[in-house]
Amino acid sequence: MRLTWPMTRRRFLFTTGTGAVVAGVLGFLGATVRYLFPNVLYEPASRFPAGHPGDFPAGEPSFLPDRRLFVFNSSAGFYAISSVCTHLGCNVRFVAGEGFACPCHGSRFDLNGQVVSGPAPRPLAWFGLSLSPRGELVVDERRTVDPDYRFKV
Amino acid sequence: MPDAARLRLWLRSVGRSVFRVGWPRTDKDRAAAMISSFFLHIHSAKVQPHSLRPSYTLGLGLLSFYLFGVLIITGIALMLYYIPTPLAAYRSMKDLQFVVTFGMVLRNMHRWAAHVMVIAVFLHMCRVFFTGAYKIPRQFNWVVGVGLFLLTLFLSFTGYLLPWDQLSLWAITVGTNMASYAPWLGDYLKYLLLGGNVIGPATLLRFYVLHCVILPAIAVGLVGVHFFRVRKDGLSAPARPEPAPVEEERSGRFPASTRSYGLMALTDRPALPVEETDPEAEDEVMAWPHLLYRELIVLLALLVVLHVVSLLFDAPLEELADPTRTPNPAKAPWYFLGLQELVHYSAFIGGVLVPTIVVLLLLLTPYLDSAPRGVGVWFAPERRWANWIFGVLASVAILLTLIGTYFRGTNWAWVWPWTG
Repeated sequence: MRLTWPMTRRRFLFTTGTGAVVAGVLGFLGATVRYLFPNVLYEPASRFPAGHPGDFPAGEPSFLPDRRLFVFNSSAGFYAISSVCTHLGCNVRFVAGEGFACPCHGSRFDLNGQVVSGPAPRPLAWFGLSLSPRGELVVDERRTVDPDYRFKV
Repeated sequence: MPDAARLRLWLRSVGRSVFRVGWPRTDKDRAAAMISSFFLHIHSAKVQPHSLRPSYTLGLGLLSFYLFGVLIITGIALMLYYIPTPLAAYRSMKDLQFVVTFGMVLRNMHRWAAHVMVIAVFLHMCRVFFTGAYKIPRQFNWVVGVGLFLLTLFLSFTGYLLPWDQLSLWAITVGTNMASYAPWLGDYLKYLLLGGNVIGPATLLRFYVLHCVILPAIAVGLVGVHFFRVRKDGLSAPARPEPAPVEEERSGRFPASTRSYGLMALTDRPALPVEETDPEAEDEVMAWPHLLYRELIVLLALLVVLHVVSLLFDAPLEELADPTRTPNPAKAPWYFLGLQELVHYSAFIGGVLVPTIVVLLLLLTPYLDSAPRGVGVWFAPERRWANWIFGVLASVAILLTLIGTYFRGTNWAWVWPWTG
């Protein structure tokens, strides 16, 4: 329909009415698409206590399978590296003296989680640590840190 | 009138209220039987012998449709025992395998039919390509067919998670992470599919609803459109000399050759023998019984083979899904292993670039290759280049899938299948 000015009352009502219907339908569709993205997730918390510092033996990695995470207790301090391969989400294995190896597509990472070979596009994630009031080591998966990060207890 | 005769008459009238034509004995009745039946009227009354030749169609479209039917029936049967929450899902599978009478066979049938359907739909697409059957006026039906192929893959993929065993969990982990490589939308797409950040109860429920409700509903709709177009456009056949226009076509009435009006061609103008009104009809045969019998034979053969295979071979079920332990190697469903092989080299190329280009090329095929030559014959010389390009691409896809399936072992390293 061609819009002319001044608009007749019928045309004005028709145009605004059609516009309102279209806007309503689009709004409804948009809200429905948004509905598909959940607001509350019943997943494990991304910030959680991993255990008392004394639970982690010095010099070797401790694998927390439920959290898909390695916690290292080095002489310089604690640090946590994700075991989730950045390629397609498989769990990497720790290979003493070498680093990490992914069983899915053969990506290799050094001891700092940096990519050495294979299709992984990014290094393994490092997570920030803190101490809870009860003296437990707390891992925060939302806070990623650099590989020189060490947490002194 | 004796009671027995009256009863017979009454039964006959009841029968006629259901089946209007009865068992047809003349060509007119055969045509009427096809057109008056809800289930049969998807067929035209007459068909070309060319499209009946098994060597032309290989029965692949029909086979895909039957497999879809088998999957719906066995799927509904499985739904009666399946509970879509992680632990209960795995327990349902164990129950189906060891407790429920015939549960194992029904699950096997569902599993094997799903695998065969992926192959059947793929081969059907190859057949349509190599016979040039996507050309005018069937271009859009090819596009619908590509949609159905993708839907078949997605249906199979969503079903893969439902057993909630190690195989399903890690196949879906790899598959959904491949989707996350899509530029801009990747992370949203993954979040939308998983219903969160990790594969869990929300993911299982989403995959269940997609697998049992949303995707089958879309597939039924698209199959309807696909069949409707086949019915309206007719099956592809080699070009024939242009027939001289008949009087009615000149005068603007319905052309007698329009297949939808096949029965009119038989009944509306009894004065003229049908062969004289429809030049194409000279070599056409009645769909009842020639087409129907062939369809029944394919159905029977499929059911026999599927039952035997399902009795002999069990669908795999590994241990309960364990997100903390990745099997080595972790493989996507077999039909995505060609992509996983590419993903092994580059996640972006294998997960995004190649699938996008392939789907776009497939969708555009009938519009890029639009010359109406070489239709209705296998490997027509006029279409040598198109057939070569498609053949090479399809072979590469098959080769990559075979490599990913049989030649990749621990840490995705190359292995020879016979070395175990």
